[in-house]
Amino acid sequence: MHPLLASRARLGAYLLGWVPIALLLIAIARSQGWTWEAAIFLAVPLCLLAALLFLSAWFLCRALPLGRTVEGLGTHGAAWVMAAIFMGSLWSGLAWMLSRLLAWIPGLGDLPPRVDTALPVLTGLGILLYLASVALNYLILAQERAVDAERKGAELQLLAQESELKALRAQLNPHFLFNSLNSLSALTAVDPARAREMCVLLSDFLRRSLGLGERRLVALREELDLAKAYLAIEQIRFGHRLQLVWTVDPSAEPALLPTLLLQPLVENAIKHGIAALPEGGVLAVTAEVLDGHVILKVDNPLDLDAPVPQGLGIGMRQVRQRLLGRFGNRARFEAGVRDGVHHATLVFPLETES
Amino acid sequence: MKALIIDDEELARAVVREHLAAHPDVEVAAECANGFEAIKAAAQIQPDLIFLDIQMPKLDGFEVLELLEAEGKRPAVVFVTAYDQHAMRAFEAHAVDYLLKPFSKDRFDGALAKARALQSALPSTAPAAPAVTAAELATSARQGKPLERIVVKDGPKVTVVHLDRLDWVQAQDDYVLLRTEGKNLLKQQTLASLEAQLDPNRFIRIHRSYILNLDRLVRVEQDTKEHRDAILRDGARLPVSRAGYQRLRELWEGA
Repeated sequence: MHPLLASRARLGAYLLGWVPIALLLIAIARSQGWTWEAAIFLAVPLCLLAALLFLSAWFLCRALPLGRTVEGLGTHGAAWVMAAIFMGSLWSGLAWMLSRLLAWIPGLGDLPPRVDTALPVLTGLGILLYLASVALNYLILAQERAVDAERKGAELQLLAQESELKALRAQLNPHFLFNSLNSLSALTAVDPARAREMCVLLSDFLRRSLGLGERRLVALREELDLAKAYLAIEQIRFGHRLQLVWTVDPSAEPALLPTLLLQPLVENAIKHGIAALPEGGVLAVTAEVLDGHVILKVDNPLDLDAPVPQGLGIGMRQVRQRLLGRFGNRARFEAGVRDGVHHATLVFPLETES
Repeated sequence: MKALIIDDEELARAVVREHLAAHPDVEVAAECANGFEAIKAAAQIQPDLIFLDIQMPKLDGFEVLELLEAEGKRPAVVFVTAYDQHAMRAFEAHAVDYLLKPFSKDRFDGALAKARALQSALPSTAPAAPAVTAAELATSARQGKPLERIVVKDGPKVTVVHLDRLDWVQAQDDYVLLRTEGKNLLKQQTLASLEAQLDPNRFIRIHRSYILNLDRLVRVEQDTKEHRDAILRDGARLPVSRAGYQRLRELWEGA
């Protein structure tokens, strides 16, 4: 099926393109002393016929795709010209038949002899129009291919994002897991009740992170719950070294955002902040709403003796990419150090489920 | 036997303490929550055995070991860590044993037995020098990534020199002199072994006796036909040998 026939709008545009050609034909006929009736009665059906007939160039174009090199243009060219001559002749042949048919209509009796003299011109015109149609069809083919490539690209990107998400889920930091299990092993002797609590927290965290990874978008509430479960475990590990400050505006909680964006931020805050400092410090998670946007912040102290890291790590770049992938320029991600405190800030539009 | 437990997590220390309670001949002489404390405690206590975590704030386990070795101390070391598997081979070459968190009582007792065997085999408190130095161990544990910081013990004080604050290094017999933030620090290491650990794109051996942080270099001046000087940002001059100049040129031309 020709792509032009697949959509009414396209077909309409294509037929509209034939209007000036029909007008040209009429003008030529008039200049040769034809009557208005004769010119119109012949030109309009002839153009309609040509419009449909020359669509067949599509199959030729598909059979002879244009390569990147000039090689093959010779054989392609020969095929185009032969097809054009054949179609041009067919078209003028049809004109000949049409004139015989139209001669039955009163007043158009002199059409056959007039058409007969115009046959060479019509054949030439047919050849040119067919060649133009070949060019047009190559254009359509190229465009289809571009759209196709774009769609495939988008599909690939989607796949990549999904696998990335899967990787994120599987990425369950082994360091965290083994250290937590070790804390658990210590607690079983010193504080069995605490040990049980930690088992529950660990299970809660694992269940949540497994569940979240299967979705693309979640409510901020769920991201915060995951972070809370994670930090409750780290709290047991780090004891007084980890002080948590939560400031969450309830109206920010239903906001939708890509899955597992907050988790890498709090894991970073533990790894580069709390764990790197002998005395630990305050890890603050803040979610507020301002002008229809959610502002999500994770702040943690840094080791001032260590050099300030340049640029974003892979984890942070992924967070930024996924945030901007979802919200485009309506979202922002910033990370930096001010007065010995590392700030990571996500700003994104407040959009909810309904 | 005097033992030292070094781990930044209280609960992790508690596990080791608990397992040691079943061995009355081993006394927990001190517990340390970070590397600085560990160096101080080791100097006072002279432990026979240390249980050492790898990932700790300020000084990691490898750096603690390096500083202890620099002082000529060779206690039996058992690494206790959740660190990834790749580094394990490196540990084996150096430590009595390693315990992966969490570990069983049997596994712990096994490590302790190894430490005991080592002690009785060597009546003197100093076990034989290991096949690799602690610095080399740390390098292989970093899996080929260049050094980020250097630890130096100057009397009782431990200094961590981050490499972007290191201006240049000078060879002084068995020592290297590190120039950082207007101060000189001495560390027992050869220039060649330090050079091997540094990022060759940041630190250049400009002379038999000098390694320069490329970031500090302003220009190279030619005094006489055979003699060149590197002019640094703070105005200091360091000699540049012909081979050193060749290295600098290769780096510039490659860039």
